[in-house]
Amino acid sequence: MKYEVITKEDFPSFVNGLLSEIEVVGVKMKEGKFHYDKIKSYDELCLDYDVTLIPPKKYLLPPKETLLKFSLGGAIQVEPSIDATPRVILGVHPYDIKAIELMDAVFSDSNPDANYMERRRNTVIVGVDCRNPSPNAFCPSMGTDTTETGFDLLLTDIGEQYVVAIGSEKGEELLKKHARTREATEADLAQRKAAQEEALAKYKLSIKAAVEEIPELLEKNYDHPLWEELAAKCLSCGSCTMVCPTCVCFDVQDDLELNLTAGERFRQWDSCMLQGFAKVATGENFREDCTSRLRHRYFRKGNYMLKRYGKLGCVGCGRCIGACLAEIANPVEAYNRLKEGS
Amino acid sequence: MKPRLAFFDFTGCEGCQLEVINFEQELLDILSAADIVNFREAMTERSDDYDIAFIDGAITTERDVARIKEIRERAKILVAIGACACIGGVNCLKNFYPMEEVLRIVYGESAHYYDTIPARPVDAVVPVEYYVQGCPMTQSEFVKVVKALLAGKKPEIPNYPVCVECKMAGNICVFEKGETCVGPVTRAGCNALCVTNGRICWGCRGLVDDPNTDSEKEILAKYNLTPEEIIAKFRMFLGYSEVAK
Ligand code: SF4
Ligand code: SF4
Ligand code: SF4
Ligand code: SF4
Ligand code: SF4
Repeated sequence: MKYEVITKEDFPSFVNGLLSEIEVVGVKMKEGKFHYDKIKSYDELCLDYDVTLIPPKKYLLPPKETLLKFSLGGAIQVEPSIDATPRVILGVHPYDIKAIELMDAVFSDSNPDANYMERRRNTVIVGVDCRNPSPNAFCPSMGTDTTETGFDLLLTDIGEQYVVAIGSEKGEELLKKHARTREATEADLAQRKAAQEEALAKYKLSIKAAVEEIPELLEKNYDHPLWEELAAKCLSCGSCTMVCPTCVCFDVQDDLELNLTAGERFRQWDSCMLQGFAKVATGENFREDCTSRLRHRYFRKGNYMLKRYGKLGCVGCGRCIGACLAEIANPVEAYNRLKEGS
Repeated sequence: MKPRLAFFDFTGCEGCQLEVINFEQELLDILSAADIVNFREAMTERSDDYDIAFIDGAITTERDVARIKEIRERAKILVAIGACACIGGVNCLKNFYPMEEVLRIVYGESAHYYDTIPARPVDAVVPVEYYVQGCPMTQSEFVKVVKALLAGKKPEIPNYPVCVECKMAGNICVFEKGETCVGPVTRAGCNALCVTNGRICWGCRGLVDDPNTDSEKEILAKYNLTPEEIIAKFRMFLGYSEVAK
């Protein structure tokens, strides 16, 4: 990998340069929390944050999106609808980059998702290593505290400067065009490593099992009383999945206009934690009881995704831990309890 | 033939009927697909010949009981609109006092001219086919139900909590801001209107089908609400349901 260095003094003009040619979304403050939003200038941007409320997946799989428009009067007309505005997502943490890699795997599999794929092609990811992790994060356990893949550029704060890892040609071009940089020296790279290690020491939570052990740990404990115990408190509110960067489920519906001859097909986020998720047209519900829904989420994260895509379905961002009012969506607690065999 | 629609109001603030009148384009579209034959708020003509009856307001007197039964007999389809009609709504606040006291508080000296019974939703008296929840009723859901009726389909009404829409809107949960709400057991469909606008969810859209109210109560207690405060929270709109007893 190639590495460049940009000073913090020069960084604003890089961002403003990007803004002159493409939409840029980045992390902003919102009532003491952080969220992704469109930015108009460098000043709004926050690069030292713990975690955002909603992951950047909202730009690749919007909460609600029109898939096609149709009209039924006379000859039936169907027109696909894809909003794939070119944009840079700026300041993505490594765990969220890993999650996007997983989304790429899901949406490009067997029957590629046209809307996702086109948006993805038009998206540039400029990541940043996380300096101050959220108290709920457990990235080191999942190997996602930093990443070597999945980005166009990745920044690491080394004090007065950023080391920029170049992940793609597109990234390199944008950097060349809009920033004054110099090649990184051995000393810069040593500082980069030190900065990453310093951050690593700040994580508070960890899973007592090795990542490779998790799938089997779950399989062995399919009938563990833990699932029922947690489900007793579950609100089936979906919060744990809505905020999860690796949750990609959606529901497709048609919306007819009042004239009943034209309308649109749209999709919106869905969740395996919701009561109706596994209900089919004939009325049966494959996961009617809350226990099976709750267990399914853990299995999807820690077992099914790995089997199907070769990647674990959890990147350790800890968002679910913070979002669950019932305090039962915590993967660290669940895996550790299974590991301890209690 | 166009279906004939009728609107009837019972005990409520008429806010829901106003919501219907407040439609602009949609109302014209509805009128081109259906005939409105009875709507006290909007027209003088009255007809007792209708297919679909929209009911707003709760049932709070013996006269209401007789009247809703009569409407039920005439209508092929009955749609409850608004919290009062769907779940009883704020009217049920009075159910926690003796009825004589309620009459005295409201009518004073002339209390003996009036009768009143504990407030109840429409479906506590007659069967209801469809519901348009909310206080006032959620406009987009009203349109959704009308469209489904015209197309002869079942409307897609969410059976998941407001939290889903809160997250989709990118809201910060009010529990993280030192407040509490009953959104985790309340039926979504309003796009988390109140939280998105900086307030809390009071549950005006009623409970989801299988709410975990025990867990919700535990959570409210964990966030330092007293048992009385918890009950009060549920009584605002959900007074008719078990959870508020
Ligand atoms: S399961 Fe939880 S910790 Fe894991 S990626 Fe999803 S939100 Fe983050
Ligand atoms: S685990 Fe928690 S956040 Fe997830 S659905 Fe259940 S109560 Fe909601
Ligand atoms: S539901 Fe609300 S707006 Fe509608 S009639 Fe009742 S009080 Fe008024
Ligand atoms: S504010 Fe209320 S409705 Fe929104 S996520 Fe929090 S608990 Fe759920
Ligand atoms: S947020 Fe709650 S109180 Fe507000 S409209 Fe929606 S259901 Fe009603």
